[in-house]
Amino acid sequence: MTQILFKNIDTPNLTSIDVYEKTLDGYQSLRKAFEKKPEEVVEMVKASGLRGRGGAGFPTGLKWSFLAKDVFPRYLACNADESEPGTCKDRDLIMKNPHLLIEGMILCSYACRIETGYIYMRGEFWEYEELMDKAIDEAYAKGYLGKNIMGSGFNLDMYTHMGAGAYICGEESALLSSLEGYRGEPRLKPPFPAVEGLYGKPTIVNNVETLCAVPFILMNGPEAYAAIGTEKSKGTKLVSVSGHVKKPGNYEVPLGTPTIDLIEKYAGGIRDGNKLKAFIPGGSSVPMLPASKADVPYDYESIMEAGSMLGSGALIVMDDTTNVVVETLRLAHFYMHESCGKCTPCREGTRWMYQILTDINNKKGKPEQVDLLNDICDNMSFKCFCPLGDAAVGPVASSIKYFREDYEELIASMKTGQPVGTI
Amino acid sequence: MFAFTEASEARIEKILAKYPEGRKISALLPLLTLAQAQEGYITPEAMVEIGKRLNVSPAYVESVCTFYTMYYTKPVGKYVVKFCINISCHLNGCDNLLEYTEKKLGIKEGETTPDKKFTLLKEECLAACCEAPVMQVNNKYHVNMTPEKVDQVLASCR
Amino acid sequence: MDTATQTDMVTLTIDGKTVTVPKGTVVVDAAKKVDIEIPVFCYHEKLGPFGCCRMCLVEVEKMPKMATACTLAVGEGMVVKTNTDKVEKAQKGVLEFTLLNHPLDCPVCDKGGECPLQDNTFKFGPPDTRMEYNRFHRDKATPLSPVITIDRERCIACQRCTRYSDIIEKDQALVMRNRGFQNRVSTFNDEPYDTRFSGNVIDICPVGALTNTDFRFSARSWDLTNASTLCGHCACNCNMTLGTRLNEMKRITTRPNDLVDDGWICDKARWGYGFTKSKNRIAQPRNQGHSVGIQEACTEVAASLKKIVEAHGPNSVGFIGSGYGLNEDLYSYQKLFRMGLGTNNIDHKTYSDTTGLPVAHFDLLDVETSDLVVLIASDPTEELPILDLRLKKAVTRKGVSMIVLTDQQTLMDKYSALSLRYNVGSDGDLLAGLNTALQGQSAGSDIENKTGVSADQLKACAEKIKSAGKVCVIYNPAALTGSSIHTLKQCLATAGGLADTQVGAMPAAPVTNAVGAMDMGVLPDVYPGGLALSESEAIKAKWGDTAPLDKGLSALEMIEKAKSGELKALVVYRSNPVNDFPSGHEVGEALKKLDLLVVHDMMETETAKLAHIVLPSNGPGFDEGTTTNIGGRVQLRTKGLTTDNPADWKIVSMIAKVLGQETAPKDVNAVTAEIAEKVNGYQEIKRSAIRREGKSREAVTSVNVTPVSDGINTGNGLVLRVADVLFSHDKILDAESDLAHQFQPSTVHLNEKDATGLGVKEGDEVRVTGNGHEVKAEVRVSNRCNPGGVVIPKVSDEQGLMFLVEAGQTVSRVTIRK
Ligand SMILES: Cc1cc2nc3c(=O)[nH]c(=O)nc-3n(C[C@H](O)[C@H](O)[C@H](O)COP(=O)(O)O)c2cc1C
Ligand code: SF4
Ligand code: FES
Repeated sequence: MTQILFKNIDTPNLTSIDVYEKTLDGYQSLRKAFEKKPEEVVEMVKASGLRGRGGAGFPTGLKWSFLAKDVFPRYLACNADESEPGTCKDRDLIMKNPHLLIEGMILCSYACRIETGYIYMRGEFWEYEELMDKAIDEAYAKGYLGKNIMGSGFNLDMYTHMGAGAYICGEESALLSSLEGYRGEPRLKPPFPAVEGLYGKPTIVNNVETLCAVPFILMNGPEAYAAIGTEKSKGTKLVSVSGHVKKPGNYEVPLGTPTIDLIEKYAGGIRDGNKLKAFIPGGSSVPMLPASKADVPYDYESIMEAGSMLGSGALIVMDDTTNVVVETLRLAHFYMHESCGKCTPCREGTRWMYQILTDINNKKGKPEQVDLLNDICDNMSFKCFCPLGDAAVGPVASSIKYFREDYEELIASMKTGQPVGTI
Repeated sequence: MFAFTEASEARIEKILAKYPEGRKISALLPLLTLAQAQEGYITPEAMVEIGKRLNVSPAYVESVCTFYTMYYTKPVGKYVVKFCINISCHLNGCDNLLEYTEKKLGIKEGETTPDKKFTLLKEECLAACCEAPVMQVNNKYHVNMTPEKVDQVLASCR
Repeated sequence: MDTATQTDMVTLTIDGKTVTVPKGTVVVDAAKKVDIEIPVFCYHEKLGPFGCCRMCLVEVEKMPKMATACTLAVGEGMVVKTNTDKVEKAQKGVLEFTLLNHPLDCPVCDKGGECPLQDNTFKFGPPDTRMEYNRFHRDKATPLSPVITIDRERCIACQRCTRYSDIIEKDQALVMRNRGFQNRVSTFNDEPYDTRFSGNVIDICPVGALTNTDFRFSARSWDLTNASTLCGHCACNCNMTLGTRLNEMKRITTRPNDLVDDGWICDKARWGYGFTKSKNRIAQPRNQGHSVGIQEACTEVAASLKKIVEAHGPNSVGFIGSGYGLNEDLYSYQKLFRMGLGTNNIDHKTYSDTTGLPVAHFDLLDVETSDLVVLIASDPTEELPILDLRLKKAVTRKGVSMIVLTDQQTLMDKYSALSLRYNVGSDGDLLAGLNTALQGQSAGSDIENKTGVSADQLKACAEKIKSAGKVCVIYNPAALTGSSIHTLKQCLATAGGLADTQVGAMPAAPVTNAVGAMDMGVLPDVYPGGLALSESEAIKAKWGDTAPLDKGLSALEMIEKAKSGELKALVVYRSNPVNDFPSGHEVGEALKKLDLLVVHDMMETETAKLAHIVLPSNGPGFDEGTTTNIGGRVQLRTKGLTTDNPADWKIVSMIAKVLGQETAPKDVNAVTAEIAEKVNGYQEIKRSAIRREGKSREAVTSVNVTPVSDGINTGNGLVLRVADVLFSHDKILDAESDLAHQFQPSTVHLNEKDATGLGVKEGDEVRVTGNGHEVKAEVRVSNRCNPGGVVIPKVSDEQGLMFLVEAGQTVSRVTIRK
């Protein structure tokens, strides 16, 4: 099984640059890159078929080629905000192999003629800021960062920048607002970051995992990367499997691996001998799916066809003891809490949905509220300022679509039982 | 009165160096973080001071500060204990753990112990879902939590 | 540009209607052109696209998602639909969200009748809400400042107000606090939002969240009578609407005119109109303290003046007016004195200035279209507030660069590319140095000694001027000392002669109609329209053979002559020399010697107290006529209130009639028409032509005077600079004013060096003495001026600040003691 991101990940002291250089041919890809013109590196990434791992799955090489021509300086902002519920892969990469990320960022910067890179980490990653700073210092000391890197004439400075608790700052334009010292509110698009991003300059925003895949492409060629995965979904993907499984964890698999394999083979199957009821394939923002769809191959197209999205690659598993409405309430609370409040439908809609779901969980629900929820979803979908509003709709709309009986059960038990638990 | 300590000043210099000339407002979050690390929470005086340094109004500092959940504008305990209550942790029983901790500390979520040692908070997803349930104490992660581990961690807080 | 216009236009269709608009226009604005209303909340033309309320969703062909019409720039061939079922559902949905937590208090809401939320709900909204939870509770009607009330339950978080604070006023005083549904409009630490322009947020708030405290519950908007008028405070002459009910002033709101105010007014305009109902107004004419009828008063004035002229000659009488009068009033007065009494003893100010400019007179819009603005001796923030907003806009959003040349720090420094601070009182030397630098020579090595600005700095300044394509010079003649205004005009002439540089200027004296007063010839040596006395033929042609041609006395000279007994009678119009002229207490003594002192004013003043005859002046709100703003734009100030007292010009004509001077004009339009006929530059000024946006008057003849070097009078002590303050506690903003909370304590600003030398520190209570007078003030070690100078803001008439200033000196010196 090809391990690209997690190769030798558990080597002791891998966070130290010497160990990284030794065990993983660390920073050797830079030599290869500097032999080429920046545009050639972009072409290689294009040819590899690598797509963004932050959630949208946008082809990475293509994004790199969209930078506004001849406008400098340009910036790289690595998205290490990792706030999508269910997702914990970037934390693993940073925590265990920070130099891989630095190497990937150097490659991206060289390819895109960028001289300053920031790693925007969610504020809760406080512990890892120090670790990342140390790794950056080591890279400077070895001449992989700074002026005239390895005699190539290429300069790059790299810094960490910490957020302070806001999911919306994972959205690329909000991330840039936050990095500039503003409230983390998303910005109008267009202009897209590649044209007008950080400080109004062309900017690449890429996810940690995306950037970590680049050194492999340089070392082994785009073909080697493209050979993994499916026709349209190339390479490997880190999948964070969490919830009701025996062995939750981050697993690196070739795209196209059946979802059921991730649950059964990798994560050890459903815990306590229960059965699979539902799963969220790509993080809290994507629609949940019923067990019947569990054999869907884990790749962008197949999951899309099945009615959901691969998203950030967080597979949340629920067994048959779960009432999905209870979990939906958790997510509704999350989106209400994280809505930045800028646009009306998201600010008001997330709260309204939360109020209704709370009622239903409190066994005070009414049958017509399910349709009301559905209509609120419709009034929010694609009408909000940024995709957070659509994300908030995902779990609610899909839970109604596939598990309406869970709602009905709670509403019917109105007079009998105890509240199932609210937040 | 609020003043940055000498150690903070050294940090500030490094922080400001990260951002281009004319773009020092970028240092707003890092400076707020420093101020909070110093005082435990962010006082109006600290906002005024930070505003002065970055050439923005104190209202602006407050506006940014209150957008982010990690900044406290009221005093908190020496140790801030946060439990993730989002889906993966919920599926793994975080509610019981939170309840357990509430009982143990004798306070409800959102409250601070009378001796000002602990503040207990709910948190949204902390990005350690595969090691649920997750607890964070003053920025340090504690994963795969059980009541016993809660006991241990709390005991180590002095 | 002409060839570009073709390609800069974009054609699209909206609901089947074709419309062509400039590139960059957003769909909402394009739709307005073809009378299609797309509902909006957060969008405001002056604030730019934001896209947060989502009210303006439309369908666009070939776009998968609906788009917000307020953020979507038009595209060639774009097909927009605003009336499909999908759009309707979206609008209903968004309105339902918007109303979700909005209280149902329209019947008691001040915004009722003029509320976009109410209107949009009526036109586009759902029949009722499906919300069955308690609405989100927030504070009801709490003070955001002493004059603004905020009702946070009504706020729909459109962020118009906070964006206004950020983008327009640029002080980020009003911000959004918190996140998500908890977000709320607030100030730092809930302190009052009391900036200079805070009231504009009331006008732009699309709901009743921000309301005028003074207006609350005092009338319903539909019960108001609205007059489209102009502000009568500073010389920007912003357009505004005066709402009245039963002949009482109720509220003032913006009336956007992009050529003047860009849609905003300052708080002095909005809340500084208490004088219309103040008890300190001069309500009736009086003679020796006894109320008399107006005809009787006018007859008495005329008879007395006539007697004095007969006994002592025409030059024994004089007129001191001010820039507070309308053109019609000022014109009438100068005519009365010149033609009716035969004297040129006519003036309206205490500083030097001349009419006209050696370069183009730039209008306010030119500020934005210039490449460089040079601000000289001007503090727009305190003196001409709307200009402050325009300058900020030019610099931060229009790519204009700014040079600031002042003797004191101002808020404009922050926006300048180059900011030079000259020593208080050294403006003459500085401008001479600048002129030399503009001619490509060095200003000399001793310039720095004299002015605090080095030859190199002046060179840098000159270089910037030379390399800019279009330069707009803004200067305040009232803040220049001695005769340095003439040196400034030489600089303008030099700059105007530069190849490849287009130079224009804006004389920015703060008084309402300062430019008009100059144009109307309220000057001892210039007839209306800039006709200098030397042009006797032209004067005779216009004014007849009896027109006096010998130079009259200036205002300060008239005071001198009153003191010496040579001047016997003085008519003072809308001016308060006892408090506002240098050495005011001495002025009072001089005036007491007159055989006749007539004061024609709006408010009771120290000078009016001394008058034999007092005449009531109507003033803003009650009067009607034209004013000329700093941009040379002549606009119509209409009345919103009525009074039994005749108009000021009418009073003048009543006096003139007794003197047998002429037939009285029938109405104010007749006076305006006469101005058009008699005053160079005003030929095109007709009521019909100026009604909407005003009209630039043509260039007024420029009078050139060769500057004399007055040199700074040496002596002990620090050189005094009296600085203007917007919210000064004077006759207009009296103690009952809504703006009383803005009054400031008396302070004296020192340079650190001098403070150390004097042994005083921040906050110390000191006595400032000069000219035999003493003023108490609190020390601010603010480095507001260079060492050797002090700045004292004129915060109140009660300071008696002008008593410190010696009459007849270029600069005044003061000493400071604890
Ligand atoms: C509400 C929201 C939250 C997001 N959070 C993250 C995140 O935490 N990490 C991330 O990499 N991308 C996140 N994204 C996606 C980013 O906007 C962006 O697409 C991504 O960083 C691009 O990098 P990639 O092309 O490498 O995926 C989020 C998007 C939205 C709408
Ligand atoms: S107070 Fe008015 S202008 Fe300000 S955000 Fe609320 S609704 Fe908008
Ligand atoms: S008016 Fe368009 S989003 Fe508010």
